[in-house]
This record gives sequence, structure tokens and C-alpha cells, in this order.
Amino acid sequence: MDTAEIRELLKQVYDPELGVNIVDLGLVYEIHNDDGDVCIRMTLTTPGCPMHDTIAGGAERLLQNQPGIRSVKVDVVWDPPWSPDKMSEEAKERLGFR
Amino acid sequence: MFRLPFLFIATGLACFALLDVTTLAQAAGWIVHPPRSPAGWFHVHLLVLGWATMIAMGAVYQLLHVVLQKEVFSRTLGYVNYAVFTVGTAGLLAGFAAVQTRWIAAFAILAWIGIVLFAINIALTLIRAAQWNPITFSTASAVFYLFLTGLIGLAMGLNFAFHWWPTWHERLFYTHIWLGTLGWFGLLITGFSYKMLPMFYLAHGVSNRTAYVVTILWNAAVLAGAAAFLTAAPFPAVGAAVGLFTLAVYSYNLHTTQIRKAHHKKSPGAGVLAAVYSTRALAVTSTIAFAAILFAPARAADERAVVIFAWAYLWGWVALTILGYLSKIVPFLWWTHKYGPRVGKGTIPTMADLLEDRYVAYVLTAVAASLLLLIIGLGLGSDVWIIWSGAALSLFSLAYVCLIARVFTR
Ligand code: HEM
Repeated sequence: MDTAEIRELLKQVYDPELGVNIVDLGLVYEIHNDDGDVCIRMTLTTPGCPMHDTIAGGAERLLQNQPGIRSVKVDVVWDPPWSPDKMSEEAKERLGFR
Repeated sequence: MFRLPFLFIATGLACFALLDVTTLAQAAGWIVHPPRSPAGWFHVHLLVLGWATMIAMGAVYQLLHVVLQKEVFSRTLGYVNYAVFTVGTAGLLAGFAAVQTRWIAAFAILAWIGIVLFAINIALTLIRAAQWNPITFSTASAVFYLFLTGLIGLAMGLNFAFHWWPTWHERLFYTHIWLGTLGWFGLLITGFSYKMLPMFYLAHGVSNRTAYVVTILWNAAVLAGAAAFLTAAPFPAVGAAVGLFTLAVYSYNLHTTQIRKAHHKKSPGAGVLAAVYSTRALAVTSTIAFAAILFAPARAADERAVVIFAWAYLWGWVALTILGYLSKIVPFLWWTHKYGPRVGKGTIPTMADLLEDRYVAYVLTAVAASLLLLIIGLGLGSDVWIIWSGAALSLFSLAYVCLIARVFTR
């Protein structure tokens, strides 16, 4: 599974309050796949996000069940901090911001 | 962190339903009668202790966990806090209803111990986390004022039974109300809003400088008012405290506007909008109160005026904000408990699926409209008007509790 496919898969993880997936929100910074050992660097819209465990844990659970993936590590980082311009056009539209 | 906040919030909702049912059952009779009576004490404390403080304690346990990203000092202490506070409040309410001064005194001690356990748990959590900002400062000072409110309530309860300090009773009475309403509820709600509003508006890059100003002004108003009442200072001293409070409310409104301007989401949801509109209304209420003190001091100090301001503040702002925020807090709690572990394992509902925003908007509008009518009725001194609007307020509030409680079935 290449990183583009993993990115596509991660679109199944939603921020339940905003109703937008984490890829379109611009929360996923980096995806590495080293022969089935996957490492994700991601952030959340704000430090102290009530959804911290749910979203990061959700991404981990989703990938763990995929064929060809041996291990998954999700790192939640605050640098660089998330900003609204990281959202895709779809996300902005969905939030009624356009 | 699910069960502890859930216990407090479910008990608070039950108390709110009880308040609505008892008010409906007596055709809003208690609102018509003078407030300083057993029925007045019972209903007021069912609202402020059984409902609002109960919900607020649950929300503090929930929010601190989120804001600090750390466990509270002790969950076990949290459960003991819940048990002692609930039994104490239930006994105190029974004492008020049955006009049993010994019960009032005994259960006031228990309710206050419940508050002390809460204050210790929160203080130790905050000290250990050592993250100081307007949210944690406001929460810390709010909890301190709750501690004082309870202590003074206890002193009055003991006075009812044993007449230990009769000359102090009136001073304690006004200080108690001031510290409870402006200190505890005021600082807790503003502190919470510094987190809730940006989160639901998806506001980004708002400086917290204004929030610091609000925290300082609000604390100054609380302390100035408490000092004025406790020393039985002349009326202008109370006026100065109300003036400070009005300034605090204006700056809080300014901060709310700053957050709204930085939004990246069109609507924060009906509940959060209700909190914002009630904050605007609070600016009007406090301006009228301050103007009345300046230009018609005798009328401003009249019992009827004080009762109207108390309703406008406690129901118009405190209760509406709590009701509004509940429409976010309850689905969040339930969703993370029930669906959180299933994220990434197939399709699950979003939070919006748990509670329809449309209905929140309809019912809260009905609640606000009946409250407005009730306040007009109190102003006119019309019993018929008060009874009908009071009954409508209880009916719509009950409908709202049902709407929120339905989340737990989803
Ligand atoms: C341990 C907790 C508490 C105890 C033991 C307590 C006790 C009392 C007592 C004995 C009175 C009657 C005083 C009199 O009329 O002479 C009273 C009045 C009042 N208390 Fe509390 N109280 C407590 C907490 C609170 C809190 C947290 C608030 C929050 C705002 C509050 C708000 C009020 C109000 C508004 C009144 C006036 C009610 C009326 O005249 O009908 N109390 N309290």
C-alpha cells in the first residue's frame, strides 16, 4: 500500500464535531510506509482538543486492520501548528466558510 | 473520563426536570410569592445547587481533563465529592421545603463539605498542572467563590437553627447571593467560554489579552461587591461594584466578538449561539441595572427590581448559557463513550446525528421568549401574567431536558 492509498484511507476518520475528515481538514502532515511499518505525523485543530485520543486512536485502529500493514505509529505534533489555510476547498465548503 | 461527569450531569438534569415539574404542578405559584420564604429557598437552591452547580461540577471535571490534557487529581475523591454533595443538597432542599431549621443546618454542613472536597480536588489538579491562563485562572477563582458562597450559606443555615450571629445575617445574605451568582457562576461561565467559543467557531489566532482583562475586571467586581455587602457599606459602594461588573461584561462581549470575527465555521450550532445572544442580553441587563443605581437608587434597591435583575441574570444568562452548552457537552460525552472506540472501524454517526440542531434552536427560542414574558410580568406585577409565562417557561424547559436526555438513547 503506497502513501497515497493510506491518505485516501484516512479520509474515513472524521472529526465528529465538524463532520469533516482529517485529511481534508489538513491534519495529516506526513505518511511514511517502510515495508508495512507505517508512521503518521499529524496534528489537531487545537492543543487541548477534546478529540485527541479518539481521532489519533481512530487513525491507528483503521490502519492496523489493513492488509500489508504490520505496525502503525501515530505521532500527534504541534509544530507546525494547524491553521485554517491547511483545509481543502471541500472542507471549507462543508463548514460554510466559502 | 466519562462516568464522573456523567453522574453529575445526569443528576443535574434530573433536578432541572424536578424544578420544572414542581413549578408546573403549583402553576408557578412560588414565583409570585416573596422570594425569602421556604418555597423561594427551595426552588432557588434546586436551580442553583441541584441543577446549575451539579452540572457545573461535572463540566469542570470534564473540561479540566481536556484543557490540561491531564487526569484530575483524584477520581475517587470526585466520586466522594459527588456523593456528599448530592446527599447534602437533597437534605438541604428537604429542610427548606419542610421548614425544618435543624435539617437545614445539618445538611448545609454536608453540602458545604461536598463543595470543599470539590475545591480541594480542583485546586490540586490545577496546581499540579501549573498551566496558568484565563481559563484556569477563572476556574480557580470561580471555585474559590463557590467555597465562600457555601461557607456563608452554612453560616446562615446555622443561624436559622441556633441564632448564633443574628446581627450579621443580612450582610451574609447579600454577600452569599453576590458571591454565588457573580463569583461562582460568572467566572466559571466566562472561563469555560474562552475554550468553548473558539472551539465551536473554529476560531483561530485570537489573542487572550482581552480575556485577561475580563478575568481581572470580573474578579474586581466580585470582590468589591462582596466587601460592600459584608461591611454594610453605603449604597454607592454597591453601585461601584455594579459599575465594575458592567465594564467586565462589556469586555467579555468584546472578546466574544473577537472570537466570532476569527471564525472558520459558519455556525457554531444553536446552543452556542444561545450562549452568545444571552451574553449580549447580559450587557443590556447590567447597563440597565447600573443606570438604575445611578439615576433611581431607591427604585433599584427595591425588592421587585432586585428580583427582576436576579431572574434576568440567573435565568437569562447563567441558565440559558448552561442549557446551550449542554447541547454540545452531552453529545460529546455520549459520543466519545459510545462511538469513540469505534472510530476507524466502519461508519458511525457524527455528533450532529445525536441531537438535531433545529430542535435545540426551536426549544431554546421558546424558553427565551417565555422568560422575557415572565420578566415583563414581574415588572408589571401582574400575577396572571407571571403564572402563565412561568408555566410556559417550565414546560419548554422540561421539553429541553427531554431533548437532551434523548441523546443517551442514540
Ligand atoms: C452549601 C451551599 C449553600 C447553602 C448551605 C445555602 C444556604 C442558604 C440559606 C440558608 C439561604 C436563606 C437565607 C435567608 O433568606 O436568610 C440562602 C439564600 C440564597 N442562596 Fe444559598 N446556599 C448555598 C449555596 C448557594 C449557591 C451556590 C448559590 C448560587 C448562586 C446560592 C444562592 C442563593 C440565593 C440566590 C438565595 C436567596 C434565595 C431567596 O431569598 O429565596 N446559594 N442560601
